[in-house]
Amino acid sequence: MIPEARQRLRSGATLLNDLRLFSVHPRRQLNVSRPLLGRAAAPRPRPRERVEIPGLEPITYGARSHYVPGLAKPVYPRWEMGHKDPRFYRSPPHQQMALYKEKACYLFNQRTSILEGVRQALWLTKTKQTTGLPSQLLSLAESSANQIADQDERVMNVIKHARFWEMTEMEPPQENYCSTLLHSLLQLCSSLQASHPVLGKRMLAEKYSLTASWNRGEDLFQVRGQNGLLLSSTTPLPPLADRQEVEETENHVLETFYPVSPTIDLQTTHLYSPDRMTTGFCGDYPYPHAHTLYFPEGVDRRNRLRPPQLRAKMIMFCFANALARAHTLYGAAPQTLDQPVCVQAVATDGQNLQLAFFQLNTTDLQHHHGVKNQVWLEEDVPLYESARLLPLIKRKQVEIPAGLVGYQPETFRKFLSLYLHGAV
Amino acid sequence: MAMACLSRGLRSLSLLPQTPVLSSQTRATLRPAISVQLPLPAIVSHGTPLQLCRGFITTASLDQNRRFWKQREKYTIKPIGMKKTGGRDHTGKVRTHGIGGGHKQRYRWVDFQRLRFEAGKEGQVFEEKVVEVRYDPCRSADIALVAGGNRKRWLIATENMQVGDIIKTSGVIGRMAVSANEGDSYPLGALPVGTLVNNLELQPGTGSVFIRAAGTSGLLLRKVNGTAIVQLPSKRQVQVAETCMVTVGRISNIDHNQRIIGKAGRNRWLGIRPSSGLWQRKGGWAGRKIKPLPPMKSYVNLPSISAN
Repeated sequence: MIPEARQRLRSGATLLNDLRLFSVHPRRQLNVSRPLLGRAAAPRPRPRERVEIPGLEPITYGARSHYVPGLAKPVYPRWEMGHKDPRFYRSPPHQQMALYKEKACYLFNQRTSILEGVRQALWLTKTKQTTGLPSQLLSLAESSANQIADQDERVMNVIKHARFWEMTEMEPPQENYCSTLLHSLLQLCSSLQASHPVLGKRMLAEKYSLTASWNRGEDLFQVRGQNGLLLSSTTPLPPLADRQEVEETENHVLETFYPVSPTIDLQTTHLYSPDRMTTGFCGDYPYPHAHTLYFPEGVDRRNRLRPPQLRAKMIMFCFANALARAHTLYGAAPQTLDQPVCVQAVATDGQNLQLAFFQLNTTDLQHHHGVKNQVWLEEDVPLYESARLLPLIKRKQVEIPAGLVGYQPETFRKFLSLYLHGAV
Repeated sequence: MAMACLSRGLRSLSLLPQTPVLSSQTRATLRPAISVQLPLPAIVSHGTPLQLCRGFITTASLDQNRRFWKQREKYTIKPIGMKKTGGRDHTGKVRTHGIGGGHKQRYRWVDFQRLRFEAGKEGQVFEEKVVEVRYDPCRSADIALVAGGNRKRWLIATENMQVGDIIKTSGVIGRMAVSANEGDSYPLGALPVGTLVNNLELQPGTGSVFIRAAGTSGLLLRKVNGTAIVQLPSKRQVQVAETCMVTVGRISNIDHNQRIIGKAGRNRWLGIRPSSGLWQRKGGWAGRKIKPLPPMKSYVNLPSISAN
């Protein structure tokens, strides 16, 4: 060992030894060993109520510096150290903070799992749902000009990479293969840039943070915080529904779910800035139009959403992105938009895809009547049936063979057509 | 905590010579009173190295030693991790024999006070939707997760409760007896005589105490003078105030007494230990006993006649 290092180690050991000397009793360290060695503490009685009688001073044992039975415990003011130390910072009560408001605000963030799922998200965003994506959108990836060379083989290799080859473990966990698969698929799609130069005017952003607030009825709602990946572009997405279809949504009646309130499971807070709208990017960001949101579901191991809640999250964040964009374009006044703002979303758990197309028709969300927003949802589209390193054998019969089984090429075509939307 | 464990563990790696060298600063700060009490010089003089530390603690973090896991400020529907007691009370003595081991269980906080109004909606009749009915390791009955308004809570499930059902809770005693559905909750005074009830409160507003086990139900016998008399599953009769809340119907998991334990090990999974093998002569405790039903127990504090 280098002599200098040895010296340092020795001095460190000396310091530890000094610390040890401070404990008066050498064997028992009461802070640690009581729970292990000592007896269990009796249930703590509730702290007594301190009765303040004006004009009477309690006689305390403070002056004697030790406990005296029968005398009151002295109360000292909290010691102020006189300088700021973030380790010992104590925040003031919420009521004294600058952002405190009397009226509560309901927050939605990426970990919120709302009970009613899509129905609740539709109510909160005043949206009409259509099942399935329209064929005009899905047909984009049909022609061979818009397809990748050896498309199916390369996609299967991407899946195999994510599920088998990425790690040395037998089964990579979902948080690994899910995001690997999504990033590889995106990289595969972006390889079309050679034939479609417009695709170069896209930017993928991770960990962007977003705030959108709106009023619905008498309540104030906010979508806040980070969410998935955002693919943004220099040009806005063309809307799917034309003006006539938009006006027909006036007749649509939003579904309610009595006795559950639409605000269930949303976080209630009194600390917020009421009209905050941020897309997460500066004003001169060259890719201001949100194109597609990608949610790798399952990356957050502690917080996995079930498919209905995941779809609700897609709708909420699409809506928030569109609303924040509409706010910068058309101002804060609620109105029916001349040119709808559209955002797409794709979520995957590493096997199934959830696809959504959101079209923000109106920012007038206060009342239930009037034009509604629209969303097209395609639920639980499997990319493949199973991917196992070892076959599943039951009673000497192979039930599920090893390897990639049941690859579905149409699913990737849907993914690709959402990617190509606006560029072809 | 982790830092403390680490530093304690590192002490065993001390590269120190036999006599510890105090840094001058430490020596200066040591009070003479403490330094006299230190047993260190005596041990050192014998030439044995000090073994004060316990090495690395490899068990789970000691922060997990939460003894008061059940004491919480705010209601939650999340399952709470429990500490096993092994039948011991807080002094460490065996309070209940035959408890120990078993599968790890988590506690789901059941709201026994059925008529708990949401903030700002006091006094109104409210409805809730059943979201989930599931097994609960902590009790014989099944529990139901219900959602209504802005909150969710666990309740004891009744016999035919299913996901999607809407159950009603009302604190109103009308002139007419209501025709209640199973799972609804009313004060005893609002129900017709002869109704099967469960989750009986003894004092109004304190939460249900009686008739909570699987498959049990009580019977509303009669209503007298602002009180109601209920027959418990043990056939004993209790008299409670008519404003006490009950749930209509029978508690779920009615086949609980039909299940086959099958082997001794299954009882161990449930945390039940074998009974003592000590032979004891059969005395008066053994055999059939015929004794009259205990008299009706009243939980109502009625003013005595002499007080008038």
